[in-house]
Amino acid sequence: MLAMKHLQKVYRTHLIETHALRDFSIHVREGEFVAVTGPSGSGKTTFLNIAGLLEEFTGGEYKLDGVDVGGMNDAERSRLRNEKIGFIFQGFNLIPDLNLFDNVDVPLRYRGFNAAERKRRIEESLGRVGLASRMKHYPSELSGGQQQRVAIARALAGSPRLLLADEPTGNLDSLMARGVMELMEEINRQGTTIVMVTHDPELAVRAQRNVHVMDGQVTDLGEEPRLRVPASPEPMPA
Amino acid sequence: MEIRPILSALMRSKVALVLIGLQIALTLAIVCNALFIIGQRLERMQRPSGMNEVDTFAVTSSGFGEGFDVRSTMEADVTLLRSLPGVAAATAINSLPLSNGGWSSGLVLKPDQRTPLASAAFYFVDAGALDALGLKLVAGRNFKPEEIGYRTMNDNVTPAGVIVTRALAEKLFPGQGAVGRQFYIDDPRTTPPTTVVGVVDRLQEPWVDSKEIEYSVLRPQHLPYGNSSTYLVRAEPGRRDEVMKQVEDKLAAANPSRIVRGLKSVESVRAEAYAADRAMALILGAVIVALLTITALGIVGMASFWVTQRTKQIGTRRALGATQFDILRYFLTENFLITTLGLLVGAVLTYAFNVWLMTHYESPRLPWHYVPVGFLCLWALGQIAVLGPATRASRVPPAVATRSV
Repeated sequence: MLAMKHLQKVYRTHLIETHALRDFSIHVREGEFVAVTGPSGSGKTTFLNIAGLLEEFTGGEYKLDGVDVGGMNDAERSRLRNEKIGFIFQGFNLIPDLNLFDNVDVPLRYRGFNAAERKRRIEESLGRVGLASRMKHYPSELSGGQQQRVAIARALAGSPRLLLADEPTGNLDSLMARGVMELMEEINRQGTTIVMVTHDPELAVRAQRNVHVMDGQVTDLGEEPRLRVPASPEPMPA
Repeated sequence: MEIRPILSALMRSKVALVLIGLQIALTLAIVCNALFIIGQRLERMQRPSGMNEVDTFAVTSSGFGEGFDVRSTMEADVTLLRSLPGVAAATAINSLPLSNGGWSSGLVLKPDQRTPLASAAFYFVDAGALDALGLKLVAGRNFKPEEIGYRTMNDNVTPAGVIVTRALAEKLFPGQGAVGRQFYIDDPRTTPPTTVVGVVDRLQEPWVDSKEIEYSVLRPQHLPYGNSSTYLVRAEPGRRDEVMKQVEDKLAAANPSRIVRGLKSVESVRAEAYAADRAMALILGAVIVALLTITALGIVGMASFWVTQRTKQIGTRRALGATQFDILRYFLTENFLITTLGLLVGAVLTYAFNVWLMTHYESPRLPWHYVPVGFLCLWALGQIAVLGPATRASRVPPAVATRSV
């Protein structure tokens, strides 16, 4: 699903060069739930940004679902991002002026689905996170846990092959965090590949594999995963 | 298109929407009406007086001292003026078109007619007037030298024949042909009627604000005001300024018992006559430019603020699959919707403002096309104004979505 080989990411200013990632190699198989851990400044977010096609890399090779993303232009990267990847952000990143329906609708509009298809997907994904009855509510009317569930619904609505989560429970209390984590595990059981960046060891141990990052390099690729068999496969329609 | 979600998001920022929408609405209302007023003023300023304004100028002689003979002075002056090199024609005249000063009276067709059919300006001139004014005779004939008489302020001498403008002829004798017909130009109870001997194409009254500005009568009479007399001189093409320079000296030298003054080209008379209109057009033009600039800056300011405020949101949209063009289009569409809402309110305000002007200032009705043209202009202005901030928004990198600050 995700294969990086000898990836480099260098930030250059006219004074200094900062190596955010150096010789970074990782392979995530389809259906895996991988936690990427490491201290602050280790390169976790840079890895996530490159994995999510939010940033370009300066060297090495990256294949997403078999597609070499090196050399793609901005529009191609946007399209691939929209089709293949769902994002869950630490701060939820919901659009405060849009209700839940319209928030989930955002990536679907960019995909170019027609109105009926969008409506079906929105209702289905909000139903999947238990918020179907609150479609007309605004994010500010929800708790943090509920907002993160909306963000997960938004990420799932486009039926992505890969879910990238950036500290998904970082802004939640333990009860809400547990609920979100259980939801992500459920999504993974249904076949979606998840890569989660976190510095919370308790969260990381719930993933199938822990990858440790330090100084822009992978220092521990974790145990070879034993893929879970979907308990009750209900994949979203592609 | 994302019209519904953009509209629904805008409805949650009502203050900004109302403020910028109102600014656009007021801009449309003021700009449309101001442009209409400017157009009216320009149209007014461009009305032809009917006379040759390029080559003509006026000069006044005021005699002083006992025994000053204004009649012989007038005859001598006209003769002198006509003899000067570069002078094509000259006449004694009491007033000029565009001068805002002259003599007018109501005209009737019958002695017992109480309500005048029209009010017309009187130009007291000699047989050289048509030539000096550069008028086009369209019917009848010019005055004969022997027909020229004198009229003082107190003598009610009505000339046997007069020349009228085509507009007045049509007003007095619609569709009949005016030459040979009679009407009263002085008090119908005490003076005889006069006969139309000629019709000129056009000659405006002296008063630029007159509603009957095209109604003029040429009377074959000299009208000295006390010891004063005014002359209109038409120079040969291109020699007006040269002739003007010598006229004052020549007249003063010919008769030292008077002051020669008021030397003025008819072009400068026109400029003075319409100075207020020109000033009004300039002021309104400046108001339009200022309003459009302020509105454009308002849009730029609002859009820039929103781009800054929504940087994280833009990054999130990019992360969710929006291309740079999607972001650019989002802000352009948002501006288009705000502008359209403002313009719809503005259209109502525009017509309301026009009705108010019609009620209080006798302004004509605003032609319908001003508002749609205004819509197009302000839509374009809005899109141009928002293009900078929208382009900046489109350059927000998607990685902003994962930044915690």
